Amino acid sequence: MKRALAFFGAPVVLLARTTRATAREGLGWRECLVQLHELGGRSVWLVLSGMAFFGAVLVTIANSQARRFVGNVAVLGPAYFELLIRELGPVVSAVLTASRAGAGHAAELSTMGVNEQLEALEMSAGDPLADLVAPRVVAGLVGVPLLCVLGTVAATLSAATVAQLGFGVDGRAFMDPRYVDVWDLLAAAIKAVACGVYIPLAAAVAGLRARGGAEAVGEATTDGVVAASLGCLLIDFAVSLAFQLLRL
Amino acid sequence: MSVDSRLPHALVEGPVRGVGAFTLELARSLGAIALVAARTVLGLPRLERRELVRALVQFGYDSVPLAMATAALAGVIVVLQSGLYIQRFGARAFLGWAAGYGVLWEFGPLLLGLIMSARIGARNAAELALLQVGGQIEGLRGIGLDPFAILVAPRVVAMELSMLALSTFTFLVAIVFEAVAAYFMLDLPLRVFFGTFAQMLGALDLVGGVVKVGTFGLAISLVSTAVGLSARGGARAVGQAAASAVVRGCAAIFVLDLLLTLALAGWMS
Repeated sequence: MKRALAFFGAPVVLLARTTRATAREGLGWRECLVQLHELGGRSVWLVLSGMAFFGAVLVTIANSQARRFVGNVAVLGPAYFELLIRELGPVVSAVLTASRAGAGHAAELSTMGVNEQLEALEMSAGDPLADLVAPRVVAGLVGVPLLCVLGTVAATLSAATVAQLGFGVDGRAFMDPRYVDVWDLLAAAIKAVACGVYIPLAAAVAGLRARGGAEAVGEATTDGVVAASLGCLLIDFAVSLAFQLLRL
Repeated sequence: MSVDSRLPHALVEGPVRGVGAFTLELARSLGAIALVAARTVLGLPRLERRELVRALVQFGYDSVPLAMATAALAGVIVVLQSGLYIQRFGARAFLGWAAGYGVLWEFGPLLLGLIMSARIGARNAAELALLQVGGQIEGLRGIGLDPFAILVAPRVVAMELSMLALSTFTFLVAIVFEAVAAYFMLDLPLRVFFGTFAQMLGALDLVGGVVKVGTFGLAISLVSTAVGLSARGGARAVGQAAASAVVRGCAAIFVLDLLLTLALAGWMS
């Protein structure tokens, strides 16, 4: 019970404190751009290649499911495309970003913590929340939705290619946006933005807590990446459930 | 004149250098993984029993709550997703089959693999990196003990066993949560859900999922061990080892997922 409360509460408290510290200290736009470049440059190849493989798997699964009950992947294609846009594109991209960026942020912040660089920053009138956490959150807020779009495009292209070459179906049948409406795009956008805010916060909670030696760094990195990945799944579940209950 | 002759050279040099560096890194990683695998197999007869039990508790038993949460989430998410397209075709009765197929074949193994790569992969890499950075592995070698038999082989074996044990457990929890979610959200009676589930899925579908999770477990254990043992430096190296173990584990899982799906789908049909 205590752990569950800490799991949900700590990122919220950190977000509130970071917002307040940033309102007081101001936000360094240059640092935000640097963090965005770090996040994007580090994660983009992982997200693109991972999602390309995932798209190929998805169309293979759709194909074997379709042969069982509707005959042809071209029939199931548009429904799977809606599924990819609304659910799988944002979430799998976000989990991949979480494994890269969450682990990276937690490792960086906890290394600074055990080397007493955070104290040094406070001594020189800096604020760790405004100077370190806020730029990462802004970078996540902007970067993760962009990565989700790129990942979804990569998955779609690879799925269409596999359908065309592997199963002899017109690849464009898979990319048919017949069922995609504005609510699907809204659900995808909410998921991507929420994950983008949550990933840096979860990593920062684990990273800033680390005290001790090299052992604490390893533990903080593990905790940060587990919390970030699990949080992305939870966000996906909550948003999907809300849309399902509202019948959108 | 000189600028013109140098320009194409500079344009070619960047990508070529990138491809070369990537290929070298890939070859180095594959070599390290092969070395870890081979030395683990050689170390199997002299396996340290106590370390094996400790690693089983740490990697298997301690991961049970996380695996259970992942399974429950995966089950409900798969129902929400398959509900989306199953209802489009007015084939609500087939939800049990579609959701069971999805969780056994794709989302159960994939999500469990990604979460466990974050949990046991990162932890294993961080611990081994810590021992390596502290010179303790050198120390073992110095007093004439084989670190692979004492430290590495028990961990690899324990991670693989834990993943296999967690996989069947995960599938069970996920399917129960699927049935409950289908009952509450789509008003599908449990009898109908399990009816199509039992009719249209066979033991082979379960074997497909377990094979996938087992392969992912092998990838996670070998990759994280290789990354952890090659760490050099101080606290920074430990963090970097944990982070890079997760990333490489995830990349390996996605590649293996495609290969296994193609191989198993070809073999089934």
